[in-house]
Amino acid sequence: MSNNVRGPSSALTEFLRDAGITATTIARRAATRTREEQQQQQPEAGPSRPANTNRRRRSTRASGYASDELDEPENSAVPEDAMQVDEAASPTKKRKLTKAAEAKLKAQEKKKLGKKDGGDEDEEEDAYTAPSKSLWATSAGPKPPVGSFEKCAICEKQFTVTKYTMASSSGSGFLCHQCAKAGGVDPFKKPAVPKKRKAPVEKRNITKFEEKRFPTLVNICIQLITKHINDIEVLGDIGVLNVEAISKALSKNRGLTQDNVHLFYNTSNDSLTLFDATNLPSPALETLAYHNRNLTSLRLDFCGHLDDTAFNVFSTSLNVLERIELLGPFLIRPPAWKKFFTTHPNLEGFLVTQSPRFDIECVTTLVEHCPGIKDLRLKEIGKIDDAFLEQIQELGGLRHLDISDPSHSCSEDAIVSLLAAIGSGLSYLNVSKHSALTDAFLTDGLLAHTGNLAALTISYLPELTDAGVGAFFDEWASNGPLNILDASRNDVLGDLALEGILKHSGHKLMQLNINGWKDVGADALNIIGRLGVEMRKLDVGFCRALDDFVVKMWLEGEKKRGAQTGGCRALEELKVWGCNRVTSACPRKKGVVIQGIESQASR
Amino acid sequence: MERNGKATSDSKESQWVRLQSTDGFSYLVKRKVAEASGTVRNMLDSEAGGYSEALTGVCEITERGIIVEKLVEYMSFKTYYETVNTKDDVPVKEFMERIPPEIVLELLLAADYQEM
Repeated sequence: MSNNVRGPSSALTEFLRDAGITATTIARRAATRTREEQQQQQPEAGPSRPANTNRRRRSTRASGYASDELDEPENSAVPEDAMQVDEAASPTKKRKLTKAAEAKLKAQEKKKLGKKDGGDEDEEEDAYTAPSKSLWATSAGPKPPVGSFEKCAICEKQFTVTKYTMASSSGSGFLCHQCAKAGGVDPFKKPAVPKKRKAPVEKRNITKFEEKRFPTLVNICIQLITKHINDIEVLGDIGVLNVEAISKALSKNRGLTQDNVHLFYNTSNDSLTLFDATNLPSPALETLAYHNRNLTSLRLDFCGHLDDTAFNVFSTSLNVLERIELLGPFLIRPPAWKKFFTTHPNLEGFLVTQSPRFDIECVTTLVEHCPGIKDLRLKEIGKIDDAFLEQIQELGGLRHLDISDPSHSCSEDAIVSLLAAIGSGLSYLNVSKHSALTDAFLTDGLLAHTGNLAALTISYLPELTDAGVGAFFDEWASNGPLNILDASRNDVLGDLALEGILKHSGHKLMQLNINGWKDVGADALNIIGRLGVEMRKLDVGFCRALDDFVVKMWLEGEKKRGAQTGGCRALEELKVWGCNRVTSACPRKKGVVIQGIESQASR
Repeated sequence: MERNGKATSDSKESQWVRLQSTDGFSYLVKRKVAEASGTVRNMLDSEAGGYSEALTGVCEITERGIIVEKLVEYMSFKTYYETVNTKDDVPVKEFMERIPPEIVLELLLAADYQEM
C-alpha cells in the first residue's frame, strides 16, 4: 500500500512528508532525548512524567524540534489509521505519548533498573536499537530483559539477551551475537564519535643545517659524476687526467661511495689507490676485487669495512697481486690473513697499519709462504713483540722495514738481533716509538749491521742522547749518506747530534725532520745552510733558536768573502711551526713554501 | 707599509679582478665574487701573503678557458644565493644541469684546487 493513496490529510502531515522528515529520525531523536531526560530523573515509569517532560522539552527546544516531536505520535501511528491520528493531532499530542513511545520508555526504564551503570554509550546504542525496536515494535516486540534467554531469529539458537542484543533487520526477532555480527551490524561498535582533530602540533622549527649549507662546487661535481657513472664516454677519457688526483679529490670529501667508485675500476688496471674507502661496505670491496683482477698493486686507506669475506675474495681473485697496502683493516682475522699469504707466494709488499688482530701465527705464515717480501710494514700492530721480530729475521730480501708505533716497545736486544740478520739489505728503517731503544741500539745495531740505509726514521725515542747520536753519525762510515732522516720529537737532541748528522749526510740529505729539537742552537742550524745543499724538505718545528736570520741564511746563503755561498738552493718546503722567532718579515723565495709562521696563523 | 696608504685610494679600482685562463681567456669579476674561491681569496689578500696578485688584481688560474668559465659561473651563483636571504630553495639542480658532463672531472680537480 503506497502512501499516494490517501484520504485528505492535514496540512501538517503534508508539510512533513514534503520535508522528508521520517519516522526513524524522529523516533531516534525522541528516544535519545528521552534517555537523556531519564538519566537525570529517577527511572520511574509513568505516563504523566514523560508527558511533563515532553512539554518541558518542547518549551526549551527550538520550534523545529517541537514540530518534529509533535509529529512523533502522528507518524508512529502511520501504520494505523491515518485519519484518526490526524484529527487527534494538534491538542492532545502535546500531552500524551503514543503507545509506542510509552512502551519504549517502559522498556528503557526496565533496562535501566537492570543495568548497573547508565552510560551514554548504552543509551546511544539503545538509541540505535530503540528506533528500530519501536518502529518495528509490532513485529519484534520490546526487547526482553537482560539475562533472559531468547531464540535467535536467524539461526534459531538460544542465546542470552544482553544489553548488546540487536533486533534483526527483518524485524522478526532478536539476533544472537554471531548472527548480528554476520549481518554486518557490530553491536559492540560504538557509534563513531567524530574525533576532534587538534590543530597539527606546531613542529619545532628544526633548522636543517645540512640543507642550509651551500653545496660546494666539489660536491656538485661529485654528485654529477655519480649520476653519470655508467656513461663512460660522456665522462671522457679518464686516463688523460690524473686518476690519482681524482681519487684524492673524491676522498677528501668522503665522497667515494660504491656508486662512483666504479670510475676507477678497470680490468686492465694494474694499480689502484683509494685514499678513503670508508664508505665502501664489504660487498663493494668484493666487487673491487672482481672488477680489477689484474691488479699488481693495491692501496686502500681507511678500509675499516674490509672483513674476512671480502678479504677472502681478495685472496682468490687478485691472483697477480704483489703489493698490498692497507690502512685500518682491523676486521680481518688471522685465518683470513693466513689464507692470503698462502695464496700469494709472490707477494713482495705487505704494508698494514693498525690491526689489533694480526698475531704471531700470521707472521709465521707470512714468513713461511712469502719469502720474497721486500717491503714490510707492521705499523701500529697491537700484538707486535720480540717473537714477531724473530720471525722477521728470516726475510732475507727485506729492503723496507717499518715496525713503528707498537703498543709496547720491543726489547733492544730483539731489534739488534733483527738488524744483525737483515740489516745489510735494508734501505729504509723505521723503529719509531720503540721507547726501549737507547744509544746501544745505534752502536750495536745500526752501526754494526747496516750499510745501505738511505732513509731512517728514529723519532720518539726518548732514550737517545745528544752525544750518543752525534758520535754514532761520526762513526757511521760504513753507511753512505742518508737521503731522508726523521729524528723528530727527540727533545734532548741538539747541537751535537745535528752536527753529526750534517757532517755525515749533509750533502745528500733531501728531507730532514728535527721537529721538537728545542735546544738546538742557531749555529748548528746555520750549518744546515752550509752543508745541506740538496735539501728539499725541512721541518724544524719547535726549534726555538730559529729566527729570521737563519731562514735568510738558508734561503739566500751567506756572504763569504764577498760572495753569496751556501744556502739550501733546492729547498721547496720549510716547516717552522712553533718557532716564534720567525716573523712574517722573514725573507721569502719563489718556489719555497714556508708553513707555520705564527703571525699568519689565522685568517 | 706603503701599500696601506694606497689601499684606500685603490679600493674603487680594486673592486674588479681579472681571472685569466691558460688559453688566453680573461674574466672580469667583482672581488667579492672571486673570493668565493679560497685559493683566489688568498692570492688577493694584501695583508697576509703579499702576493703579486694582490697588487695587480690579476689572478692566473692554471685551467682551460671552459673550466675557468664554469668556475666563475659557480662563484657568481654562490655569491648571489648567499647574500639573497631567501627561504626558497637554492636551484642547485638547475646549476647542475648547466655543467656538461664532459668537463666534470676536470672541473672537480679545478674546484678542489681552488677550494670552492
